Amino acid sequence: MSDGKLGVTWRAMLVAFLLPLVSLWALDLTLGGSVDAGIDSLPRFANAVLTSYTLGSLLLLGNLFFYADSRQRPLAPLIGMLAAASIGLLTTVVLLNQGDLLMEDNGSVRAQVLYNLVHMFVSTGAILLALGLALGSTFATITAQKARRTILEEEE
Amino acid sequence: MEAMAEAALWFWLPTVLVPFGIWISLSSRETMGRAFGRCLAFLGFAGIVLSPWTVPSSPSSEAGHLLGFIVGPSALLLVGLYLIAFSGNVPVGRLPKSDRRMGVAAVVIGFVWFAGMHWGDFTPTLNGEVNRYWLVFLPTFLLLLTCLCSGAALCLRVIGVQRSIESNVLWFVSGFIFLLLVLAMTVDGHSVDSASFRYHLWLAGSDLLGTAVGLSISILVFGLVIYWHERRLPEPQSVNPPTNEELDFVANIVSANLGGGEDE
Repeated sequence: MSDGKLGVTWRAMLVAFLLPLVSLWALDLTLGGSVDAGIDSLPRFANAVLTSYTLGSLLLLGNLFFYADSRQRPLAPLIGMLAAASIGLLTTVVLLNQGDLLMEDNGSVRAQVLYNLVHMFVSTGAILLALGLALGSTFATITAQKARRTILEEEE
Repeated sequence: MEAMAEAALWFWLPTVLVPFGIWISLSSRETMGRAFGRCLAFLGFAGIVLSPWTVPSSPSSEAGHLLGFIVGPSALLLVGLYLIAFSGNVPVGRLPKSDRRMGVAAVVIGFVWFAGMHWGDFTPTLNGEVNRYWLVFLPTFLLLLTCLCSGAALCLRVIGVQRSIESNVLWFVSGFIFLLLVLAMTVDGHSVDSASFRYHLWLAGSDLLGTAVGLSISILVFGLVIYWHERRLPEPQSVNPPTNEELDFVANIVSANLGGGEDE
């Protein structure tokens, strides 16, 4: 596939992926629109960014132990990733302390941090289940079709 | 015991046990180690599900309550798809055709179960209120599933060769989930009204977007950390070129493994 066609394909796939999301938001706006949700979406977005960044960094820090196995166990990348994860945690705490900027319906910074963690676990569960079902559906539709003749058989 | 300590013991410790157990199970080379890892993960899972009873005062236990509610329909959906997929045209490990009907039944029951948890009488409720994490889970799950199926349908059509039938099936699945979302946005559920669902759908969208951005940044930082570390490493010492003896040795091995006999 040429580079130009590949670029178009990726763009088309991205559009296909985002199409239901945009359609639903358009439908919601037509139905009157959840204006409050639009405002509350910003702290949720920011909290999701910070929590997923921090948890993702910790997960990749664990992954670095396997990388270190093949590199005579260097400490520098481990410290680097630990610093990156700490920055995420520190930024979360600092921003949560700035009044109502990122606070949702929780009384204290500690409660909000714990809520963010549990919320992320629930979201991750939903994401993993959706990924599993989408992959499973794709695989099931492919295997449901009749067996095809391979190219080699056609050549013979 | 202090409420925070109780939550740490009865909710957070089991939560940590699950990934820890999975990690031991995957990294252990011995059967005992793998079994121990699985036991730890299962104990952690059971601890989370039991947390509404062991630590009812903690708000985090609502997640355990939700997990107990969704594990049934989720397992049905996943097992159903597994049965459908592997009773089809797969070269190895093919299941009998009868498993296909069982798989379809499991998927249908799974979806009806999930729909019943929104529109029916068995919405996850705790102390008379709808579990707040249910309002996180359902919109996120349905929204991502319709988007992924839509993307996969186009992927099959554009990248796959003669995959239009499969692509159409996935469009249908995506459309079905989309329809469920539209119904939830317009028809009140048993305990969750349509306005509340629409509000949480917005939050689910921003949640998914935020998670994608945060994960992407962490992967970028990870790549940069590795890049900076590798760049600062000294050049590896060059080795002497192979001797004639070594070249002959390699040539013998290569010639012994090249070609292919009549019996192949």
